[in-house]
Amino acid sequence: MDTNKNSILSLSQSLLSILARNWALLFVLVLILIFSFTGINFFSYKNFQNIFHLSTIYLLLASSETFVIITGGIDLSVGFVMGLSSVLSATIMRELHAANFTPALSISIGSIVGLIVCIIPGLINGVLITKYRVPPFISTLGMGGIASGITLVMCEGFPVTFLPPYLTGIGNGYLIYILPGKAISFFNRPEGIAVEELRNLIRIIPNSLMFNFIIIFILWHILKNTKFGQHTYAIGGSMDAAVRAGINTNKHLIIIYTLSSFLAGLAGVFNVFQTGIGNFTPFTAMYELIAIAAVIIGGASLMGGKGRIFGSIIGVILLRIIENGLHLSGVDPFFRFIAVGLILIVAVVIDQLFPDLL
Amino acid sequence: MADITITTRKNGLQKFFSQLGNRWAIIFLFLEIILFSIISPGFFSVKGAQVILINSPFILFLSLAETFVIISGGIDLSVGFVMGFSSVVSAKLIVAFVGLGMNDLLSIIVGIVITLCIGIIPGLVNGILVARLKVPPFIATFSMIGITHGISELLIKGSYIRNLPPIAGRIGNGSLINIVPGKTVSFFISPTIQRGDQLIEILPTVFVIPFIFILFFAFILKSTKFGQHTYAIGGNVDAAIRAGINVKTHLIKIYMLSSFFSTVAGIMYVFRYVTGKADAGAMFLLDGIIAVVIGGASLYGGIGSVWKTLIGCFIILVMENGLRMLGVPTFYKLIVIGIILIFAVLIDQLSPELIHREE
Repeated sequence: MDTNKNSILSLSQSLLSILARNWALLFVLVLILIFSFTGINFFSYKNFQNIFHLSTIYLLLASSETFVIITGGIDLSVGFVMGLSSVLSATIMRELHAANFTPALSISIGSIVGLIVCIIPGLINGVLITKYRVPPFISTLGMGGIASGITLVMCEGFPVTFLPPYLTGIGNGYLIYILPGKAISFFNRPEGIAVEELRNLIRIIPNSLMFNFIIIFILWHILKNTKFGQHTYAIGGSMDAAVRAGINTNKHLIIIYTLSSFLAGLAGVFNVFQTGIGNFTPFTAMYELIAIAAVIIGGASLMGGKGRIFGSIIGVILLRIIENGLHLSGVDPFFRFIAVGLILIVAVVIDQLFPDLL
Repeated sequence: MADITITTRKNGLQKFFSQLGNRWAIIFLFLEIILFSIISPGFFSVKGAQVILINSPFILFLSLAETFVIISGGIDLSVGFVMGFSSVVSAKLIVAFVGLGMNDLLSIIVGIVITLCIGIIPGLVNGILVARLKVPPFIATFSMIGITHGISELLIKGSYIRNLPPIAGRIGNGSLINIVPGKTVSFFISPTIQRGDQLIEILPTVFVIPFIFILFFAFILKSTKFGQHTYAIGGNVDAAIRAGINVKTHLIKIYMLSSFFSTVAGIMYVFRYVTGKADAGAMFLLDGIIAVVIGGASLYGGIGSVWKTLIGCFIILVMENGLRMLGVPTFYKLIVIGIILIFAVLIDQLSPELIHREE
């Protein structure tokens, strides 16, 4: 009798725990349901592809922030490092293109240099935080200022333009193009279709989605199934215990901050592909704060030791769906600031109310 | 014997280093002023100093707000947008009251009073979230950014507020003492001048008001029970609770105080620029936090003071103004301040270690 009661109790408790753990996902589903009724053309594969496509940089920044937050740190420089890599790679591409290099060569050299240079801020952050015990908040804030300054000096406050062709073709391309009953092609539009027929062209799976999927899968695998991931959780859970367990915490943290910076750089380079120009990050953009918000909504704790890549992705999607859905429902765009703030509070209060369930 | 002399000499050296560590901010400020006086003509002048003071009020108020919050071990990211929010609310109220046919000065006063009451609400919410619901300050105040930004944009529909009474601008751009030689002397409100008249301005009003606040709250933080409790909570929350401090109420008060300062900053913005803008304070948020940290406060709480924050503010202001007078693009300011910020914390980290190691 007693055991029966207990099992029911534990069952309901585990159910509650699953609910509390995945409330963000539930909330996303509820929002999709609501917006499907209120939003014009909200519930269509085109719109969902769009949401993912336009979330690319947030997805990358949030997954980089996930690693840092799990270790109990914070990285406020990602938004500006993203701007740095964007402007740097765009400038190199422009110069090489102007020097009559082939587009493919100038694009690849620009991207690679952008990615490599963006490791440096993370490396410095890591060294400052581990060897010199500078709080992550300060170190990354200072690094953000420095990166932002260098970016603006480089581009003099204007976006970098006159880039080689094909950039946006890659960044905004799709995996499959189908012209019903006529043609199907991969990566490129079918040859020789009339302008009137463009309307009927069905585009499936944006390149950005695949790109995201691959990166996120790798990061998920690293965090969930490797020793590196376990050590990340261990450091966030208890630094002392991690040191005593023989983890080289300094080296690990340096790698984490470098990784974070690298992912921000990746986001910047991808942004060049998506927009076709090198965008600097304005001081009021708050990319990093939005990424952090997504990670927290996804169930991570700023105290460290908690968080999942999948959760952070849901966090990003939640914020983007609110934005997109409210927009398509014809709501004043300023309401979405308020909505994001309220949802963030709900996220953390839920987190606080059910601490032992999670 | 020899041992003792060596240790005393070491102690002297340590003392020197720790003194240097403690006072590096003020030394740095003086070096900065000397450097700019040499390389930038016109920097070391009454006018140059006035320009710095005129640009100071927003960073002074926001960093004053952060000083209290950071000493208590928290952080307030919402100050910038609370400032924008209050600038919009006060400008809108004043315009509305003037529209109702009220006297200009009266509508300004009523508008300010109502704004001050509304402006502490975000702080109250922040405080309740942080103290009662145990939401991390970073997240609670970040949410408040979204909410205050959204509301203020809705209030002004993405534009800014016009048609404020001109007297507002005369107060905001006036000085403590305004002298038109041989004609008039006025206090606070800048006089109307004819062409060819020379106007001598002593101490801009926009600096005098924050300075009065700074004097008052430096006293509060240093010499009252309220201030001591703030340090106690930042130093060790558990100990503070055991010492019988009502930590929850105190934290709520701190966040309300922070919001109050941001609100005053927003009202100052209205007087200075004769408009209300939703993103009025967005640029000053980070400057405010950075000034506090450069001044030597610790983000872990328990360390910091209003005077040190003031030095931090002026390090930033002098740097900004000096670079501007040299004709250096403002972008370089970001790099320099980023480097100063990191060095500030590095020095603070290294100087106590110098003492610890020897012990």
